[in-house]
Amino acid sequence: MFDSSILLSLIGLPLFGMIVLFFIPDNNPDLQKNVGLSTSLLTFLLSILLWLKFDMSTPKYQFVEKFFSVPYSNMHVYLGVDGISLFFILLTTFLIPVCLLASWDAIKIYIREYSIAFLFLEAVLICVFTCLDVLFFYIFFEAVLIPMFLIIGIWGSRERKIRAAYQFFVYTLVGSVLMLLAIMYIYYTTGTTDILVLQTVSFDYNTQLILWLAFFASLAVKVPMVPAHIWLPEAHSEAPTAGSVILAGVLLKMGGYGFLRFSIPMFPDASIYFTPLVYTLSVIAVIYTSLTTLRQVDMKRIIAYSSVAHMGFVTIGMFTLNIQGIEGSMLLMLSHGVVSSALFLCIGVIYDRHKTRIIKYYSGLTVKMPLFSIVFLFFILANMGFPGTSSFVSEFLVLVGAFKSNVFVTTLITTGVIWGAGYSIWLYNRVAFGNIRTSHISEFRDLDRRETMVFLPCIILVLLMGVYPEIFLNAMHVSITHLIEQVQ
Amino acid sequence: MDFLTFFDNDFKILMPELYLFFATLILLSYGVLYSTSKILNYPIIQLNMGWLSIFSLTITLFLYLGNPITTMSAFNDLLIFDSFTSLMKVLIVISSIICCLMSLTYLENKKINSFEYFILILLATIGMLCLVSTNDLLALYMSIELMSLSFYILASYKRNSEFSGEAGLKYFILGAFSSGLLLFGISLIYGFTGLTNFEELAKVLTGINSMTNTVSYSGILAGLLFLSISLLFKLAAAPFHMWSPDVYEGAPTPVTAFFSIVPKMAIFALLLRMFYSTFYDFLGFWQPIFLYTGVLSMIVGSLGALYQKKIKRLMAYSGIANVGYMLIGFSAGTVESMSGLILYLLIYVVMTIAFFSFILGTQTEKDSKLNTYISDLENLGKVNPALGFAVTFVIFSMVGLPPFAGFFGKFYLFLSAIQSELYTAAIIGVLSSVVAAFYYIRIIKLMFFGTSSVYTTYKSMDKANALVLSGSLFFLIFFFAYPHPFLMCIHKASLGLLL
Repeated sequence: MFDSSILLSLIGLPLFGMIVLFFIPDNNPDLQKNVGLSTSLLTFLLSILLWLKFDMSTPKYQFVEKFFSVPYSNMHVYLGVDGISLFFILLTTFLIPVCLLASWDAIKIYIREYSIAFLFLEAVLICVFTCLDVLFFYIFFEAVLIPMFLIIGIWGSRERKIRAAYQFFVYTLVGSVLMLLAIMYIYYTTGTTDILVLQTVSFDYNTQLILWLAFFASLAVKVPMVPAHIWLPEAHSEAPTAGSVILAGVLLKMGGYGFLRFSIPMFPDASIYFTPLVYTLSVIAVIYTSLTTLRQVDMKRIIAYSSVAHMGFVTIGMFTLNIQGIEGSMLLMLSHGVVSSALFLCIGVIYDRHKTRIIKYYSGLTVKMPLFSIVFLFFILANMGFPGTSSFVSEFLVLVGAFKSNVFVTTLITTGVIWGAGYSIWLYNRVAFGNIRTSHISEFRDLDRRETMVFLPCIILVLLMGVYPEIFLNAMHVSITHLIEQVQ
Repeated sequence: MDFLTFFDNDFKILMPELYLFFATLILLSYGVLYSTSKILNYPIIQLNMGWLSIFSLTITLFLYLGNPITTMSAFNDLLIFDSFTSLMKVLIVISSIICCLMSLTYLENKKINSFEYFILILLATIGMLCLVSTNDLLALYMSIELMSLSFYILASYKRNSEFSGEAGLKYFILGAFSSGLLLFGISLIYGFTGLTNFEELAKVLTGINSMTNTVSYSGILAGLLFLSISLLFKLAAAPFHMWSPDVYEGAPTPVTAFFSIVPKMAIFALLLRMFYSTFYDFLGFWQPIFLYTGVLSMIVGSLGALYQKKIKRLMAYSGIANVGYMLIGFSAGTVESMSGLILYLLIYVVMTIAFFSFILGTQTEKDSKLNTYISDLENLGKVNPALGFAVTFVIFSMVGLPPFAGFFGKFYLFLSAIQSELYTAAIIGVLSSVVAAFYYIRIIKLMFFGTSSVYTTYKSMDKANALVLSGSLFFLIFFFAYPHPFLMCIHKASLGLLL
């Protein structure tokens, strides 16, 4: 009995928490934060339950239930999970409590609305990853903009947050409306928007090309791919810490999920046709953004650009259309979700203390904050693709998959590993080693218990994925194999 | 004796309009007698009149809702009543009630004490109700004139403001001009067919496209062109939109609300009846007219609003853009497009009601002024967060962002455009709605992302406006969860017109 409604409860629990939060008065900020945090932790436990009950031997959608039905049209929204969506749900429910815990002391205004925005975001993100209907995927895809726009704009850091919020909003909206037209065209010609049915429909070749491009317009902005990546550094550096965490951790993965779920299965011929385009843009993304980080002065921007580079790896992996490539890109998405988020959290830790993110003011942090430096080093190495961490496994799989498909691209991408090592180590060197600048940093405030609790799960996850990725890959195997078969 | 009972049934079906008409006359005489009575010391009966007119409109609404007759044509086919007209009339009456509710506080604060305001609103409503159910070109002209004349006077209602007088004059001149065009078109159609009745015209014009060799119908097309241009003038569609920002800005704010909300419904109902049942065979002729006008309206509306500094002008341009979307849906010419259009009208009306009730309800604490400039809305989110978030949701709905109701309206409209293969129009439509997002988001930015240090405190909203705002907001937010009753009514209405 519990099986059949687990997805609805996953969506309903954050919404219920949101409603409870509306009634908590403002003279009790601790209660507000506690309610938000406990709701998100409960959702995380519920999603672990989802993982345990997941059947890994079938590519079919599980826990399917009917959510909603639009009258007078052929649109019924079903919710369901398969190997691909399972991990995105887990990533979401893992990152939201981390976010809420990380922003415990940093948010001082509108605390209740902050938790409400995050819980609403969580509910909508779970809907994005579980709904089996193209139109409602679009609806929830767009609905994510609302809380993110408010989070960046209201709680962001002072300087350019308005411009960042605008850019984020309008870039995503432009791409998405083109996707909406494509969805409407699909509904008009096939009469249904159900994914399960649409994956069996074969479109005419030229139609596929145009529809693929329309979907690409939206997903390329979300992923992001060069040249539509400009919103990402702005949004990341201006958003509050937890906003950047959830943006890098989950929102970018929505683009990857869109590619895996829609572009590749529904338009296979167009995907093969446009593979060179995707490869080119991804290679440019990796090399160009890695080199751009060398000129940045703001730490968050460096990590933001490195996100773009990692997502370049992801898109290459996805369009190799063989099992190593796609599994590598999935695992890279998960790993990048945790690693980038943890890096943003590290930067958030020092921002909370010194209120600046400019590298010039930091040097020699190891002396004053040794525990933090160890954690920071761990995640910088993970960002680099150091063996033992999850990034190494995933990047290796992507490279193997890409090698099977195109040797030249793989060579160029592998240089990306070198650039990654370069900027990551240089960043760490400048910030953590060297002489202390006592004029700027004079207090000793290492990580406190709350921040350790924020980082500990991330460290465990990264090590786990790096040393024993089979736990995660196990559930993905069948679904991804099924996906590849569909394309062939 | 038979002669006297000949029109019995016709008067029975006309009962709601007759009731409203007599109520208007009685209220008019009541107003005149009481406000000029020396014994009672010339009382100010403005609010009294307001509540009485809301009362009579509510009774009209109940008369419509309890109407047992489903389809009938009255007065020798002059007027027609079916499920489509019932739906549109109910919507018009409800919107008029809400507009009256919204204007009460404004009139009290600005000390506009002449009671004719509500009489004019009632007369305009009667005009619109008759307009929805016309079945004849002459009845069309008379209803439009009744409606428009009341509007002209309402636009210049603030007698001590020359701004308002200018708005009324502009509206009058352009309105008279477009009525002249309307009359010319009607006379051309009458001249070339000898008929003014819609049903008779439909019968005569059926299958006319196949008879190009035997019948020359270019005269009818010319009449149709003038007719459509005149109605586009009244709707403020580009390129006939020039009057709308100036009139909306100059008229008193509740009158602007009334203009943005109610006439569009009536004129679109009329357009649907004329072009979907009477002149449907000329689809190849009128589809490009409305398509190009629609695309131009969307572009003009989105781009024009980017530079506006005043709220009412912004709403005028946004109204032009919305009329553009509606015209695209209208030009598609299918049953789904008709349902989509009525749904979008409904949602547009609710969004506009929400926004105007917000504007009319927020009065500054210091001198009870309404916000005129967009920059007056600065820091509203910090001063009054609940109101700020409410307006944020209304604005997100206007942008067309899911999951609010505005998205569903746009979705159905563009879906029907794609179903009729009007791809270019759909692409331009969605891109212009992204451009429109800019100026809507700017309002949210001003309210929440505080960059200035000007904090204006507001009085608490009066009950009527607060209820209207919360009711419409509830509709906008939760429409996606339970759209069934609305979709069912709209479906029934569209089938009622076309079958």
